[in-house]
Amino acid sequence: MDFDDDDFEDLFNEAELLQGSSQGPSVTAKIEACFEQIVDDLLNEKDEVSITLKTRKRTGSARDGQSTTPERRICFPGKTAEEAWRFCKFSQELSDVKHEIDNLSVAVVLRILELMHEATRTNTVLSKRDIFYRDPALFGKQAHVDRYVDDIAFTFGVTRSSLNVTAAAKGLLAGAISICRKDGSILDARTDREGILIPNVKDLLSVDMSSVQFILVIEKEATFRSIAGSDFWNVIQSQGVILTGKGYPDLASREMLRLLSSASPQNGFAAPPVYGLADFDPDGMAILSTYKSGSKALAHENEGHCIPQLHRLGLHSTHLFVGDDSQAAQGILTLTTRDRKKATKLLADTPSNCVLRNELQTMLMFNMKAELQLLDSTPGGMYAFLSAELKHL
Amino acid sequence: MSKQYLQTLTVPDAHPTDIFSLAITPSHLLTASGSSSIKIYRAKGQAIHADTAEDENPYPLVQTLEKVHKLGCHHVCTSLDGRVAASVGFGGELKVWECAEDGEWKEKGEIIVAEKNAGEHWAAALNENGQYLACTTSDGRINVYDTSTISDGKSQKITEYQTKGFFGMSVDVSPDGEMTASGHQNGSIYIFNNSTRRLAHSLAGLIKPVRAVKFSPANRYLAATGDSRIIALYDTKSGEQVANLTGHSSWIMSLDWNWNGEYLLSGSQDGKVKIWSVERRECVATQTESEKCLWSVKWLYHSPTARNEVFVTAGAGKTLAFYREASGT
Repeated sequence: MDFDDDDFEDLFNEAELLQGSSQGPSVTAKIEACFEQIVDDLLNEKDEVSITLKTRKRTGSARDGQSTTPERRICFPGKTAEEAWRFCKFSQELSDVKHEIDNLSVAVVLRILELMHEATRTNTVLSKRDIFYRDPALFGKQAHVDRYVDDIAFTFGVTRSSLNVTAAAKGLLAGAISICRKDGSILDARTDREGILIPNVKDLLSVDMSSVQFILVIEKEATFRSIAGSDFWNVIQSQGVILTGKGYPDLASREMLRLLSSASPQNGFAAPPVYGLADFDPDGMAILSTYKSGSKALAHENEGHCIPQLHRLGLHSTHLFVGDDSQAAQGILTLTTRDRKKATKLLADTPSNCVLRNELQTMLMFNMKAELQLLDSTPGGMYAFLSAELKHL
Repeated sequence: MSKQYLQTLTVPDAHPTDIFSLAITPSHLLTASGSSSIKIYRAKGQAIHADTAEDENPYPLVQTLEKVHKLGCHHVCTSLDGRVAASVGFGGELKVWECAEDGEWKEKGEIIVAEKNAGEHWAAALNENGQYLACTTSDGRINVYDTSTISDGKSQKITEYQTKGFFGMSVDVSPDGEMTASGHQNGSIYIFNNSTRRLAHSLAGLIKPVRAVKFSPANRYLAATGDSRIIALYDTKSGEQVANLTGHSSWIMSLDWNWNGEYLLSGSQDGKVKIWSVERRECVATQTESEKCLWSVKWLYHSPTARNEVFVTAGAGKTLAFYREASGT
């Protein structure tokens, strides 16, 4: 489902009530006030409940000389099915909703507010991408989330980051570096095994890389955490960096990796080797190749984000035979139809002299894939694997 | 009593990538690999003897079918009479080849899967004269085509054997053309009767992926093997399992019967080749070629005049290696 621009000229009237004291109540309270108002409206059996969103001014849009901020009410039940879609998911969950809800009724705005509420209450940070993935069926497109998130922040008169929503920064990093922000603050990645959210490269002044011997890029968060939680952490803390983009990396993670790995005045002219660790499956291969040579979707951004020197540490096809018949075999799975299609597609996109091509063909021949978790059940586990692979350092 | 085999010749870097499949005719050895070409060597069943001149390569490369499978080729098979071959590529394309009187191979046509969501073609086998081509699919079917009707990407589909939907990893057609056997990802093995076009036997499976099925030359047995590391022998009439051959310590990728059904040849993922006496149900020779996966092992065509049998192996080592039985045994 698509909107035209006018659909975004909306604002919360509840929020408007709070505007005067925007420094006062916490954002959590603001969101709660919003919900309370709706519940009150419902309890009082009002004919309709509504919220109003304020829309950010568009540069260059001369809205017939309007000087006030354009705003728009979204009502429930909506005048149109589309309006209901924007409103209703939350209302649906309230027991005393009497109205028959249109089949398009899913409330984008309320769902986002709910997620923001959760994020501010638990003090976790969500990316706009995370929000989208919480309910892709509801949001339909990432663009919808992006616009409403910014509209909500604008309506509340707060910054987006105070709603604990970041533009991207879903990646994590940890290790022997300290980062100096432009505002003079220092971010030390050594202290926290949990890793820090990858900061926006634009906000950074410099990175101290003096003790870094290698950078290890990890496909998924689970493996990042298991490495950070293992004895290998001592090595990382003193001489390495681990980084994950949690699946397919966003530009922010790739930008950060590029900053860390290619010599520049900003990183003290360090150029440590970069290793990649991912599943032996089509997605694992595609993810490492995104770091290495960029993605098709963002081909125009690829320059300045690629790490051509990235060396794939694993998993390789040989890992299919690590401790076969033991517990490790649990990390070995049959390819699904989707895996095979994806692998065939990747194969078609891979130059014929590339090692990756052979690995993909071998994967298709065996019809098997191997997940990183299998290393945990091999003798010595992840620690032994990494120590062996990185021993020349 | 064990047997001795000697490596008589190797062709290093026969292909730039893994060699996935081998096929034999009375005069040729066809090799398919992760590269886009199929290479054809002359192999008239001759063995190298002491009187063979040293500089004479008995298995010269005679033809290369250039760029025929863009994404690489994983299976190649031939008819017993050596007139027809079929090859299956990683892009799912299935091509049929014909050998002219002068010994040159030419493309006869391609069979394209028309239906959407039909699984990709995987393993293939031809009957004795090459008219019938059985091909497994990733969704567990076995399509049987009439290669004489091939044109414009189509070929008459004679029948389609349905199974339970598990990836069809291996297939064979019996030398008498009466039976088709298939081995699947989940370990199941089926024998179909080609005359009635019905399932003849659902065999006691191997639980793990079945990477090779092969009928004996006299059609009496079916040998099946794979990740279970066991070679199972079944009686094709009764469907009963008659023997288990154990000894490999890794996945077995490939199987072949010698010309008279006396010996079985097997190649495994850890680079080992074994020769088994079918009568004695035991391994009579083991060759360790390398630690690299052997994707395919084959006996060369045995001419009645030749004394010793020759077999060839190929795999991740990119090398073709020829072995013959040591003289005097």
